[in-house]
Amino acid sequence: MSIQMENDYGKIDITNETIARIVGEATIECYGVVGMASRHQIRDGLTEILRKENFGKGVVVRNAGADTQIDLYIIVGYGTKITEVAYQVQSKVQYTLKKTLGMTIGSVNIYVQGVRVTNL
Amino acid sequence: MKSIDGLQFAEMISMGAYHLKQNADYVDSLNVFPVPDGDTGTNMNLSMTSGAKETAANVSAHLGKTSQALSKGLLMGARGNSGVILSQLFRGFGKSVEEKEVLTASEFAEGLRYGVETAYKAVMKPVEGTILTVAKDAAAVAVETAAAETDLVQLMEAILTEAKASLKRTPDLLPVLKEVGVVDSGGQGLVYVYEGFLACLKGEELPERTVVQSMDELVSAEHHRNVQGFMDTADIEFGYCTEFMVRFEDDKTKNHPFDENDFRLQLNEMGDSLLVISDEEIAKVHIHTENPGNALSCGQQYGSLINIKIENMRQQHMDIVGDQSAGKNTPAKKVPYAIVTVAMGEGIADLLKSIGASFVIEGGQTMNPSTEDIVKAIQEVGAERVLILPNNKNIVLAAEQAAEVIGIEAAVVPTKSVPEGLAAILAFNPEADVTANAKSMKAAASVVKTGQVTTAVRDTSIDGVAIHTDDYMAISNGKITIATPSLDTTMKSLIDDMITEDDEIVTVIYGEDVSKQDAEQMVAYIEGQFEHVEIELYNGKQPLYPYILSVE
Repeated sequence: MSIQMENDYGKIDITNETIARIVGEATIECYGVVGMASRHQIRDGLTEILRKENFGKGVVVRNAGADTQIDLYIIVGYGTKITEVAYQVQSKVQYTLKKTLGMTIGSVNIYVQGVRVTNL
Repeated sequence: MKSIDGLQFAEMISMGAYHLKQNADYVDSLNVFPVPDGDTGTNMNLSMTSGAKETAANVSAHLGKTSQALSKGLLMGARGNSGVILSQLFRGFGKSVEEKEVLTASEFAEGLRYGVETAYKAVMKPVEGTILTVAKDAAAVAVETAAAETDLVQLMEAILTEAKASLKRTPDLLPVLKEVGVVDSGGQGLVYVYEGFLACLKGEELPERTVVQSMDELVSAEHHRNVQGFMDTADIEFGYCTEFMVRFEDDKTKNHPFDENDFRLQLNEMGDSLLVISDEEIAKVHIHTENPGNALSCGQQYGSLINIKIENMRQQHMDIVGDQSAGKNTPAKKVPYAIVTVAMGEGIADLLKSIGASFVIEGGQTMNPSTEDIVKAIQEVGAERVLILPNNKNIVLAAEQAAEVIGIEAAVVPTKSVPEGLAAILAFNPEADVTANAKSMKAAASVVKTGQVTTAVRDTSIDGVAIHTDDYMAISNGKITIATPSLDTTMKSLIDDMITEDDEIVTVIYGEDVSKQDAEQMVAYIEGQFEHVEIELYNGKQPLYPYILSVE
């Protein structure tokens, strides 16, 4: 599935992988997020923190179009207020997609797959 | 001052929180990162206030215990990115000084350093040029200074000086700040907290509200915030960006003593994005208003006007978006309702028009019309209200954007195929409003089953069906069911799959590559298999799809 746009000069196709990458990059810039996690933790290895090239595993883009939904699987730092971090990710993702792709999305669902305890 | 205890620390917190609260609006106005929603100051203030409240309720002479209360209060009340970062900074600080009854300068510096370290651990990719950078730079100077300096007031002076210097450098680190011409909002918030700390240590009173030095910085932040609000020239409510200064004159202020607050209230009635800054001699004003003259007269009550600048923002905005149509006359006569839809093939376009579509934009698979195409089509029709039927899921987004920018009442019925579009148009009720129509048309579209036959352009396997180049594929409600080299076999299989006992009407639309004879044979096949259904046959003249099948 992909997003298609057309202008006077031709056509633009944006794949879901690209959207996943943009969303992933925006997510890890958010304070409190220490990593993206896989949505299949058991299959892909427990609470593995995804590398950049694997962001697609932690970002699910459903239903290209106006009611696009994005599921995000993240790991947060211990001691942060999780609800607030999640809210920040939601608004940052919405904003980034609007800014870079001119795309408004229906919802951003956050799944906190783990909390990383830093040795304190 | 060589050390502080828990009670003194609680005082510092209270003063820091108070000072931040006093300046929260200004911090809000700077907020352009990570999302320019202008709430950083509000969020930081709520977070810090929660921290200060918890501290005040659990204050202890033991400094470690007091700072535990602070970190708990901050964690519970953390709001927004900067709030969460603030809570991490003081959580680390609290952890580092947990056992200490009183704090020396070097221990205080160490606490700040540890706080920064903690805060950095909770982020994968720290963005520099934010509150994190300001905290880090300040803490580094704190550690350095504390090596030789044992006086806490001197130490806090050094910390604040560096925090301010670091804040000034934030636009060099974060391009979006430079673009807008502001410093980082979260960093500014932290500077206010530190200013509160220092004032407390010195035993000084803080000014009610610190005077903002740079009007330019404020103006550009206001402009930026304003630009976020609208995309269409027509949405600009107050058209003139007006800036001027009033040089007070004694003979005028004698009758009319200048009061900044009153003046601001008067101007506030006239527009938005208002900024007023004044001292004994001059008041500087920035406002977006529809009547610049009134704002100027208002200023003239107090003295003479200097440095006047008025800009037409609608013109500017139009120049930016290249929107020529705003100046053009709209068609004199307007139809009350229009249905704008998208389809490929003359025959289908005629069919859609025959049942009520006002305009059919040519497009579809491999040729999606843009938002602009849709907007143009709607303008051409010149209706008061419009319903847009994209007839393809890839066009839904463009249609919705068109509905957003068109400036008349508009709704999108998210039809994904021509049969859905046909069903939707048949459900149209010219008496009902846009929302009601969109709802009932969407419902009508949802009961139609769509089948399509097209050719494969490459070898692949989708939905468990092996497909070879040039195969005819049958797509039933978006899912590929079969692919064979024969058009007949594929179409017949699609018919068998889709039509059930409960269906009543079957519509066959054949494309430009199918002869009327072949199409009629297909109708005969359906009649033979399913006696109960009523069949309609149309020549859609569409490319790419030999057959489109609608079942309801």
